[in-house]
Amino acid sequence: MTLALISLLTPLAMALLLLLSRSRSGWWVMGSSLVSLIAALGALHGVIQDGAQWMHLGGWDAPLAIRFRLMPVSALLLVFTALIHLLVSVYAERSRHSQTQRTDYWPLSSLLHASLAALWLSHDLFNWYITLELLGLVAVAMVTISGAKAYVPALRYLLLSLVASLFYLLGVVLLYGHYGVLDLALLADAAKADPTTRLALALMTLGLMLKAAFWPLHLWLPPAHASAPTAVSALLSALVVKGPLFILWLLWSELAPAELGQEAGPVIAVAGVLALIFGGWSALRAPYLKTLVAYSTVAQLGYAMMALGLLLHWQRPELHVALWLFVLAHGLAKVSMFLAAGEMQATLGSKSVGVLKGATQTMPIAMFAFAVAGGSLIGLPPSGGFLAKWVLLRPLLLEPAHWPWAAGVLIGTLMSAGYVFRVVVLSFDRAHPTRPDHRPDLFAQWLALLPALLVWGMALISDPLILWLTGGAP
Amino acid sequence: MSQTVANALPLLIVLSSLLPGLVIFALREDQQGLRTFLNLAGVVVKLVLTGVMIVGVSHGLSFRFVVPFIPGGDLILQTDALSLQFVGLSSVLWLATTLYAIGYLGGSPLRSRFFGYFSLCVSATVGLAMAGNLVSFLLFYELLTLATFPLVVHRGTPDALRAGRVYLAYTLGGGTLVLMGVALLHTLTGSPDFVPGGYLKALVEQHPFSLTLAFVLLVTGLGVKAAIVPLHGWLPRAMVAPAPVSALLHAVAVVKAGAFGIIRVVYDVFGAGPVQVLDLAQPLLWAAAATMVYASLRALQQREIKKLLAYSTVSQVSYIILGVALLGPIAATGALVHLVHQGLMKVTLFYCAGNFAESLHVHRLRDMNGIGQRMPLTMAAFTVGALGMIGVPPIAGFISKWYLGLGALEVGQDWVLLVLVGSGLLNAAYFLPVLYRGWFGRAPDAWPGDTQLGGGTPGWRETHWMLLAPTLFTATLSLLAGVLAGTGFSPLAWAQLIIATEFAP
Repeated sequence: MTLALISLLTPLAMALLLLLSRSRSGWWVMGSSLVSLIAALGALHGVIQDGAQWMHLGGWDAPLAIRFRLMPVSALLLVFTALIHLLVSVYAERSRHSQTQRTDYWPLSSLLHASLAALWLSHDLFNWYITLELLGLVAVAMVTISGAKAYVPALRYLLLSLVASLFYLLGVVLLYGHYGVLDLALLADAAKADPTTRLALALMTLGLMLKAAFWPLHLWLPPAHASAPTAVSALLSALVVKGPLFILWLLWSELAPAELGQEAGPVIAVAGVLALIFGGWSALRAPYLKTLVAYSTVAQLGYAMMALGLLLHWQRPELHVALWLFVLAHGLAKVSMFLAAGEMQATLGSKSVGVLKGATQTMPIAMFAFAVAGGSLIGLPPSGGFLAKWVLLRPLLLEPAHWPWAAGVLIGTLMSAGYVFRVVVLSFDRAHPTRPDHRPDLFAQWLALLPALLVWGMALISDPLILWLTGGAP
Repeated sequence: MSQTVANALPLLIVLSSLLPGLVIFALREDQQGLRTFLNLAGVVVKLVLTGVMIVGVSHGLSFRFVVPFIPGGDLILQTDALSLQFVGLSSVLWLATTLYAIGYLGGSPLRSRFFGYFSLCVSATVGLAMAGNLVSFLLFYELLTLATFPLVVHRGTPDALRAGRVYLAYTLGGGTLVLMGVALLHTLTGSPDFVPGGYLKALVEQHPFSLTLAFVLLVTGLGVKAAIVPLHGWLPRAMVAPAPVSALLHAVAVVKAGAFGIIRVVYDVFGAGPVQVLDLAQPLLWAAAATMVYASLRALQQREIKKLLAYSTVSQVSYIILGVALLGPIAATGALVHLVHQGLMKVTLFYCAGNFAESLHVHRLRDMNGIGQRMPLTMAAFTVGALGMIGVPPIAGFISKWYLGLGALEVGQDWVLLVLVGSGLLNAAYFLPVLYRGWFGRAPDAWPGDTQLGGGTPGWRETHWMLLAPTLFTATLSLLAGVLAGTGFSPLAWAQLIIATEFAP
């Protein structure tokens, strides 16, 4: 637990330090991300060895205390968050096109890291509200780093984020008034399927779905993610939308009475299938590269929604594994895609998809990173996306009655193949290649490739991954 | 040889082309010598290792490489007689095609990328051949799709890109179906090793519906690559690829991967018994027969050499499917041996088409008049391939057709004989006029574009030696495979060995 706290407090301290000292140097943030990563790895090791751990903030006991809980999933997410922050901060400091050197990006990204870490560790509804609020505000501030053109999407993001927080808070207040506690474990013991609980859960779910950009509440996401600086887009897509998802998952799998979950599950799962279809369709037609990648986030979240919805509906624990595998695989792939897309559009001089003509010649490594990461989104073996889809498919195929859901996965696969290869095919165009405006930045391209390679081989370490994730199923 | 070393051999065979391929990607365009060296070193190492394994397997050794992959399905590379046949075929043809490609691409741009993907493609093919269970097979099957795509669009022209899009749409769609089929079987029984006779017998009573669906998914998905009508649309379009790529695609890599997969699914996953019980073979048989006739009819209408060869491939690969679907040992022998024979003959034909195109810029059939006088050796090789396709003894193609015919009679499907004869006649109808033109037509005063490759005189100097040598090599092999069919070293003898285990009581 101490290690997990170090992983949380290092970026927090760094954020405060940078704010107070007015320094905007990226090296400090890289250092703190590295420390946080090592501490998180230690925490993961500990939690695998000894099982879930609790910590009572301030030393008070159960009903009064605010508790942190470290379980294998949260430890894994701590590692994941720190790793992605480290990667992205190296990019943000070293790439010529990052637009983030010597900006407020550095304290903000540290703050984002800290609030995410706090979110993974928290275990009561109000703490989550605080982390959500923080996450939303920091994310909006980070979108505005790219200047005036991002103000409109950022403002829309801010308003929707505030509305969503309000919904969530209303739900929390209802539950607190009804049961008198905020701690998740205590609430789970007390919760009954009465109208107040239903209403509270519905409000909170609505708020969280809005924040997680679940279809059809996703409209704020593509403009916000596409207009942010590249490093920020990567963080937003890979990490920020996963925070509300984590809360949603714990709310429904621990707090909500099982019969409510069974009712709500199919709705969420159907929304997931629709997200795959309509998100994929929008990505297929998106005129700009980063918008395409952002819409693919909307579509890919559909898999997570399917896993969550069916998990609630059937109460099958292996779907937890599928859900978090999707999150991990998608996060890594998206970092790679956004970094590659950012490098390519900055070097080739336009935001539109068409600029990638001939990119396999002009920017081979970035394009390769994009394609490999895309392979994981499609779910080609041996990538992480494949592994997640495989685990998801198992319960779907077991009974003929569930086969329509498998058809949903099939459509999702084809859609993602469509938008990934729309870009890849274009990059092989040798007839009219786009000439680069600058000399391509090799280091940044290799950096984009790194997470793609990690996610590409993820199925080869499926055994420990699944073991850790099953250890974390509540 | 210690068992650990033996077990690493299958991995080494994959790596022998994978590692040179990865290094080649990093080479500059002008490092031609190093690139050629890496290519050839990879080929030689692979051939030696394959030879060692063939000797080993015939002495009863087993080679099996296992790493954990996904739950309930390890990544297994192993060798049985069937996989060795395919590995042997791809290693030999890779040797020939590498040499050919070095000559063919000459000074054209982006050769490092080309040879890199070329090596990846062969690695995926041998991996697929040695895959020990469905999950491993799926992995290499998808990798093969990805590795061949850059080769198909290598020229990067609008035409090539259009063909590439069609290729991807078909093969990724098919791949998704295969994935679903594999996942469905995996939920029922996990992914055990391929075994002769299949591992699903016990489930036939319990899950007939699921098994039928799995079979349909798998065979439809694999049928895309095997180009069974109506899933063949990508193949004639993929002709825009450079000639060595077409040769590889048609002879070993893509099309054969589909056919090989169907062989595995029918014999080593389902087994002949369950396929018969579930009554799954008959539709496949009909589809194969229809493909043979339809594609031959389409071939008759073609005006370009490569298009004609493409439709001929569609038709010939279905001979393999036909032999499999007949579910008898003799027909299966015909199918397996045709896998090799068709590869040898078709690769020869594509080399010839490439030679005509490169040396004289002859792409269309009507320009072939009298080409035998200018390029007698290439035309001779073309004749061997074409006659083999028709099924004239003693060339390899005759042996396959003989066994397929006998096999059809053995299982009482006499009508198949009519299809075989009809398809043979159609083959003759589209190949013989070409041969006539080539040998007896009046040569034009000037060829569309004589590049004077290799010297430009008829005979040994009719084209670049790197284009001519592989052509003659594979033509000789197609002839030998037929002539020596009765001896112990032929593809036929090996196919009979495989069938002896597959149909063992």
